[in-house]
Amino acid sequence: MRDLTLLLESVGSGHTAASEDLLPLVYDELRHLAGVRMSGEAAGHTLQPTALVHEAWLRLSSANQRRWNDRSHFFRVAALAMRRILVDRARHKSSIRHGGLQERLNIEDVSLSTVEPDDRILLIDEALAKLEEEDAESARIVTMKFFGGFTNKAIAETLAVTERTVERQWAYAKSRLFQLIQSAG
Amino acid sequence: MSEAFQQIEKALFDTALQLNQPDARAAFLTQACGTNTALRLKLEKLLQAHSQAEDFFSINPLEATARPISQGLEEDSLETLESLEDANVYIGRYKIIKRLGEGGCGVVYLAEQQKPVKRSVALKIIRLGMDTVRVISRFELERQALALMNHPHIAQAFDAGATDSGRPYFVMEWVRGESITDYCRAHSLNIRRKLQLFIQVCLAIQHAHQKGILHRDIKPSNVLVTEQDGKPVPKVIDFGVAKAVENHWAENLTYTAQEQLIGTPAYMSPEQAQTGRLDVDTRTDIYSLGALLYELLTDHPPFDSQRLLDAGMEEMRRILREKEPPTPSQLLHSLRQKEPAFPRGHHGTAPWGDLDWIVMKALEKDRQRRYPTVNDLVMDLRRYLNHEAVQARPPSKIYLLGKWIRRNRVIFSSAAAVSLALIAGLSTSLWLFSKERYARKEQARLHGEAVTAEMLTRAVFLTRENNYPAANAVLDQIHSPPVRASFDGVSAYRSVGNWLALQGRWQETMDRFSILKKIGGIDQWESVTGDYQSYGIALIESGNVAAYPAFQQECISAYSHRSNGDEASRILKICLLEPGSWSVLQQLRPIGTRAERWYATLEWPNSIGHSVIPISLWRYRQGLYNGAELYAQKGLDERDKTSADYATIRIILAMSAWKNHRPEEARENLEKAREVIALRFKQPFSSPGNLHDRWYDWGYARILLREASSLIGIPEDLEDS
Repeated sequence: MRDLTLLLESVGSGHTAASEDLLPLVYDELRHLAGVRMSGEAAGHTLQPTALVHEAWLRLSSANQRRWNDRSHFFRVAALAMRRILVDRARHKSSIRHGGLQERLNIEDVSLSTVEPDDRILLIDEALAKLEEEDAESARIVTMKFFGGFTNKAIAETLAVTERTVERQWAYAKSRLFQLIQSAG
Repeated sequence: MSEAFQQIEKALFDTALQLNQPDARAAFLTQACGTNTALRLKLEKLLQAHSQAEDFFSINPLEATARPISQGLEEDSLETLESLEDANVYIGRYKIIKRLGEGGCGVVYLAEQQKPVKRSVALKIIRLGMDTVRVISRFELERQALALMNHPHIAQAFDAGATDSGRPYFVMEWVRGESITDYCRAHSLNIRRKLQLFIQVCLAIQHAHQKGILHRDIKPSNVLVTEQDGKPVPKVIDFGVAKAVENHWAENLTYTAQEQLIGTPAYMSPEQAQTGRLDVDTRTDIYSLGALLYELLTDHPPFDSQRLLDAGMEEMRRILREKEPPTPSQLLHSLRQKEPAFPRGHHGTAPWGDLDWIVMKALEKDRQRRYPTVNDLVMDLRRYLNHEAVQARPPSKIYLLGKWIRRNRVIFSSAAAVSLALIAGLSTSLWLFSKERYARKEQARLHGEAVTAEMLTRAVFLTRENNYPAANAVLDQIHSPPVRASFDGVSAYRSVGNWLALQGRWQETMDRFSILKKIGGIDQWESVTGDYQSYGIALIESGNVAAYPAFQQECISAYSHRSNGDEASRILKICLLEPGSWSVLQQLRPIGTRAERWYATLEWPNSIGHSVIPISLWRYRQGLYNGAELYAQKGLDERDKTSADYATIRIILAMSAWKNHRPEEARENLEKAREVIALRFKQPFSSPGNLHDRWYDWGYARILLREASSLIGIPEDLEDS
């Protein structure tokens, strides 16, 4: 997977669009893993996305490239990929449940606590897009924590901040996102 | 809100959150916010949201989106299922058969079209999760690009659409075949057929360029070869990273070099490998075509992909930018040396030189030095196939001669071998030069030279067909006359010059021979002296006697560094056509002495007359009439009374006798000379004539005859021929 390394290197050298280019590679791998892992397994099995990401990392990177900064880049991108994958799966599941109609959830009629998980994911994703505009760092953390399932420690390492910061950001972000979801509709 | 405020807010929120006791929390907020009620409100709301938020977020997204298998198969399961054959999956009205591969932002499937006609097609659909605005635009761009093009060697687009969930796809020609490199190898195509195939690919790319589309990812796997009616048909596929060069298409869509990295970098041009260099152009595709051609010819790409990727980004860029790969010939040569069993068959034999240069020109690091358009590349390849001179490097004389020989095998006989041997010593190659400054000048000069060389070749060819008027016309067109001798140049000018002389077109004769004098000749000086003689005769005959002294000076300095007696003799001869001034005679003295000494060493003069004439006339010009007579007598050979030498000697005897106050003898000799000359000039001269019948020897005799006639007083009644 020399390709991956080169892409990571170029991300490191500050080429902004590179993460989107990493995406297809990572995406493929994660998607494959997600499919493999999740097919045929009963609900209630606690599989974290992070396990997939780690596995993907091991599969995609070569032995001598597992330096921490490469891994960081990878994780950040992997988190983005996971988000996409999950959102897409959620959308699909949700649309089936709603009879194939592309209905927007009417938040006013429904209490948020009764919203099904797959719809929640969609709502969170939407709100996250808005949060990205006002607070990029929080948004990043949400992506990694919620969609990627990373530990605070892993996130801290990746984003080069303290764990405490991660905790704080996460707590704040959740609240803020919830607010955004509430006010949407 | 500024970042600082944000941080403060978050910090406050965090602290407040830690304080579980409502009182403590309220107190903190009061203290922290003070009179800032807006802030307090904001924080309170956030805190309120917090506990609900916690619940809301307490799900595992993976599980949340898990799908029981019983739900049936939808289109997106395509990407996780291995076998689709029996699954009856449709995208639009196309039944998906199997996955063919990926490219860029989409996945390609083999599908079946039922209506209006049943056939297999390739369906490319955007990947799941890749449906951002950006990616969709790119996808759409590719589709449009494909729709614009209409070429037998480009995979064609048929249809387009989007799935229910909004994923765009398009349908195109399914190209079933192998990569062009695999095909050529499998079928052991010879060079000619490989090139013909390659030219078709080039034409396809040219078509795309004309539509304003760059491919940007030309490599063997994107050029497939199928067979139609038993003939190989190449098809270019996957314009997936193609970029439209027209501005309004490219706006908002920036393509990065990284995309190419997903594939094989061996075909990536130096400018593509550079970070941030997005200004690729048609020449980028030409580079990749060059790399493809390289691999077709040698079975190896110019750079090893593995090594490039292993080297890391920076190093890879440097290699592509600086390292020159070996020419195809060099590579094959070194491969053969390593592996004697290396298959020779389809790699062909010489002349490799030209193909090397064509490939290397396409692979130039500096894109200004590559072919400017794909058409230029195609034309050079076609020239190569026709054994014509290619543009790719300035043709040296040897090269042109070789070309010409190949083109005209029938006409050329052993003369060619001699010529080649003569040319072997010439240094002509100026292919590599280091400084750009000189390069441009050199290019212009070489171009002029190249053009001239071609024309000379053509002129010589025409003379061999005895088409002298045409050959003369060609020489007229030469703007930059050659400065170095070449077989073709010398031959052309001499032949045409001789012919012109026979026509009595003296000025033109002089023009031709003056060039010959300048370039100095390539074979033995014997012929060069012939050129001087020709020129001299033409000069006198043209009536431009006033220029004769200057000509004499030229001869003198031309000989000045030489010491050959035979040459001295010839030069001397041509310098004595007119009575010279005393200073000229002085200058001729060393030459005269040399000629005399040489004559003295001759044991058996090949041509008595020939060697005697110069020194006899030399004496005459100096006023040494006895000496002149003596030598002339020695040279008189009664066995051949029809030669120009015989006539010339008779004239010298006539003039000497006259000067020695023996008029009868003088007239007698003159009469004899006149007869011989008149007789000869009744017959046509052939160009250039054989050794003993050179026109300029006769011209010489005739000139002297005029002088003698006016001296002795007998009117000339020769018909000028």
